[in-house]
Amino acid sequence: MLISYNWLKDYIKGKIPPAKKLADLITMHSFEVEELRKIDNDWLFDIDVLPNRAHDCLSYLGIARECCAIANLVYTPPVFKIKEDKNIKISDFVCVEVKEKELCPRYTARVMVDVNVASSPSWIQQRLKRMGLEPINNVVDILNYVMLETGQPLHAFDLDKLDGKIPKKIIIRRAKKGERIITLDDKKFQLDRDILVISDSKSPVAVAGIKGGKKAQISKSTRRIVIEAANFQMKAIRRARQKLNLQTDASLRFEHEPDPNLTLFAINRACWLIQKYCKGKVAKGIIDFYPKKVVPKRIKLDLDQVEKILGVKVSLAQIKRFFKKLELKILDYNKNTLLVEVPTFRQDLSIPQDLVEEIGRLYGFDKLPLVIPRVLALPPERNDSVFWEGMAKDILKEMGFCEVYNYSFISDQDAKCFSFKEKELIEIENPISREYKYLRPSLIPNLLKNVKENLKYFSEMKIFELGKIYKKLPISEKRALTGVILTSGSGTQNFYYAKGIIDLLFAKLGISNVWYDEVQPTPEESKISFWRPQRCAEIKTDHTEVGFIGEISKKILEKLKISFSVVVFDLDFEKLQNLCCEEHEYQPISRFPAAVRDLAVLVPRQIKVVEVLNKINTAGGPLVRDVDLFDIYEGKEIPEGKKNLAFHIIYQAPDRTLRKEEIDELQNKIIKALEENPEWEVRK
Amino acid sequence: MERINFSLLRNKAEKEIKRATDLEELNVIFKKYLGKKGIITQILSSLKNLPKEKRSKIGRQANLLKSIIEKEKEKREIAIKKQIEQESEKDESIDVTLPAKRPETGHLHPLTLVRRKVEKIFESMGFCVVQGPHIETEWYNFDALNIPKDHPARDLWDTFWLDQKRNKEKLLLRTHTSPVQVRYMEKHNPPFRIIVPGRVFRHEASDASHDIQFYQVEGLMIDTDISVTNFKGIIDQFLRKFFNRKIKTRLRPGYFPFVEPGFEIDVQCFICQGKGCSTCSQTGWVELCPGGMVHPNVLKAGGLNPKNWQGFAFGMGLDRLAMMTYKIGDIRLFYNGDLRFLKQF
Repeated sequence: MLISYNWLKDYIKGKIPPAKKLADLITMHSFEVEELRKIDNDWLFDIDVLPNRAHDCLSYLGIARECCAIANLVYTPPVFKIKEDKNIKISDFVCVEVKEKELCPRYTARVMVDVNVASSPSWIQQRLKRMGLEPINNVVDILNYVMLETGQPLHAFDLDKLDGKIPKKIIIRRAKKGERIITLDDKKFQLDRDILVISDSKSPVAVAGIKGGKKAQISKSTRRIVIEAANFQMKAIRRARQKLNLQTDASLRFEHEPDPNLTLFAINRACWLIQKYCKGKVAKGIIDFYPKKVVPKRIKLDLDQVEKILGVKVSLAQIKRFFKKLELKILDYNKNTLLVEVPTFRQDLSIPQDLVEEIGRLYGFDKLPLVIPRVLALPPERNDSVFWEGMAKDILKEMGFCEVYNYSFISDQDAKCFSFKEKELIEIENPISREYKYLRPSLIPNLLKNVKENLKYFSEMKIFELGKIYKKLPISEKRALTGVILTSGSGTQNFYYAKGIIDLLFAKLGISNVWYDEVQPTPEESKISFWRPQRCAEIKTDHTEVGFIGEISKKILEKLKISFSVVVFDLDFEKLQNLCCEEHEYQPISRFPAAVRDLAVLVPRQIKVVEVLNKINTAGGPLVRDVDLFDIYEGKEIPEGKKNLAFHIIYQAPDRTLRKEEIDELQNKIIKALEENPEWEVRK
Repeated sequence: MERINFSLLRNKAEKEIKRATDLEELNVIFKKYLGKKGIITQILSSLKNLPKEKRSKIGRQANLLKSIIEKEKEKREIAIKKQIEQESEKDESIDVTLPAKRPETGHLHPLTLVRRKVEKIFESMGFCVVQGPHIETEWYNFDALNIPKDHPARDLWDTFWLDQKRNKEKLLLRTHTSPVQVRYMEKHNPPFRIIVPGRVFRHEASDASHDIQFYQVEGLMIDTDISVTNFKGIIDQFLRKFFNRKIKTRLRPGYFPFVEPGFEIDVQCFICQGKGCSTCSQTGWVELCPGGMVHPNVLKAGGLNPKNWQGFAFGMGLDRLAMMTYKIGDIRLFYNGDLRFLKQF
């Protein structure tokens, strides 16, 4: 809310602090002053009125009351008296029927005749302009002026433009489906039953609480006017505003539940000003539909509670002073408890804590001391999720990976590119753009986009993300740990490198028994389709699949315009965490020498190395400490369809030096075991 | 046997040794005198043919010369070696000003680093780290936090809604970490103190200081008499430890339906030191963290009796802390995966 310093002074008696000082006080005790601007000989405050105070502080009087409370000044609202013309009666001109009592708790109206519509006085025009409002004519300007002053939106109709016979009928009702209205600014709106309207006997003349219609607009020829000061239900105005996408100064105020008791003061203030500046007579009487009067609330406030919440003792005298300035009436004081009556313009106050806040902010939250709480010296419990996440991140970092954070969304294009099916994806009902249409079902798409972007500057990269992915059936979320490797080496090299990363990661997380299983393709799973077939594997421990590793399919890389082979590992971090183990025992180092024997075996091409390794380990038994594959060879000098695997076999016993004969015997046993298979040939 | 002039021989040998320029030459000279067929060796081997009295005299002189030559040779050898070394060192010289070759290391995301720092400080004050789901129900995100349906206060949180429902309840992406307050209260009995770091989502246009997702650290401390002054005490300790110096803060009124009283904590602008600049929109202050005393309705929603328990809650922006720490001007840098940015941490 914009507030002019000079205008504000109208309602304050006493020595007002300079604008800068006042702005600081308002910020520290009421609302943040977002900007203070000097204009001519005035200061303009841009005050960010808090939503729970918008019902009384989107007005000069509200802000003036606050200023008086926080700067200890005297609040002086305008005093005036209107003259009614005894010869004309309001009932001869209009009658009001409120059909929706829930949606319109109060409807106050007055009639004025012989009004002279012209330009408003220049001081009003200036004040409105400063607030960003365009002057229109004296009647409309005065209504706007009073709205800014009091916070009560007002509206006026040209009585003679209303349909029907005198006395004209004003009806507050829901719009009928298909009804239309043209508003004062010449915009057409289609209405429906969710929208409350002010109607004459024939058609709507205003969207209630939001905007007036063109039909009964005040113009130069207008002589007789109906002035409305009503109160509408917050929810109804909010719904209509959202439906019509039409926010106005009036709707903003009604959405924050202004005090229904405000209408009378505001309508009289408007009539008085119109009388003064537009001539005209006020018809005798007032229409005031107000079936359920809002009365002041009462709150019991235990002074011990004040101290317990704030942490300091505020004296009763001080509390009394604060309350007086805020117009909170103390009805009773008994057993350290105050009975407080809250004026109806402070609908935000309803529980003792609300009153504690009033005391706290007038006292000054900033002035409260800093006190370290006395608590049990219990150490916090460790959060395992956080612990293992941190551990995994550190391990990958040690291995040279760079951590990225991506958006939790993917675009509809990504969905297509990676062939995610609609039924797997959670769609955002109100996406900000097509870029962020679905929740990500995998970390891979965004990571590959990172690769694509970074290829402009880097030729090699190792990146990872540990974050949530989202599943539709059933709707759920879980953590994934996904890494991408792109090096100058070949795709195969990248693959084994990634495999090494996984081995080391798992070892460091205390997970043993990791193995890699060929993929059994299940075509209905779209996730399979983004891997390069024959170059991917399931990562397993025992019999659980914990993730996937492989090269990304050429098709996808082509779509992303990445011309290098990219290897990805994709782990289910929830499963991984369950397998993590902190226990770690050291392996004694044998004092006895190790002996190394080499062994080369010729096997058919499709034979997996692990099969050969398993044979060696089984036949060799515990004295084979390690088997190290140091060469794979295919090509010249090797028969078609075969490959040569060369191993170092390391023999060592924990308790003695192995004799040559012992080693020979084991080596022969291994050779024999390998040659059990007729297609395998150990090369001697 | 002819007479041997030992002094002449000695002079000659010493001269020759001194003149030797490399080890090979030195060796040849040495052999000439002391090799198998060397002059001195021959003298010594011919001693047995001499009469007794001559034998001992010549023998002594020959042995003396032998040891002198050996010593001279050794000296010269050391000198030559030193020279060689010096010469070869000259060739080895490197330019120490050439650019360094750094080992390739990994990097953690700045938000991970800042988050760890925050967690560590709060853990040292006894706070447990707790987490919660991103996909939330309307109840936990709004209703339980005293933000009723159709209330204008809901407009404070621009929300991403999902096209899915769970048990007929509308689902959304949490707009703050506050739902975890209620989730935690449901399962734990006070007293407790927790922090909840995590990702949150807002349906709003992004710019340098706003994005559709960011990180919050929720804090919640509940006990029988935790007060506003305690809140101030804890936050002050945190800020001191986090920034490692005294930080100027101010506490002013704020409104959040789930706290009462509610406040906003501002810190003095870290760019202009309070003088006013574009980062702080000329105010000299930057909003850091809204907070307040947990509203009785929230305690009730979490199954706690507001007559017995009270305490504070706050919600700090982790991105903001990271931006302050590293003087980062654009929040979107955190989420675009640019390695030129990430490798700086």
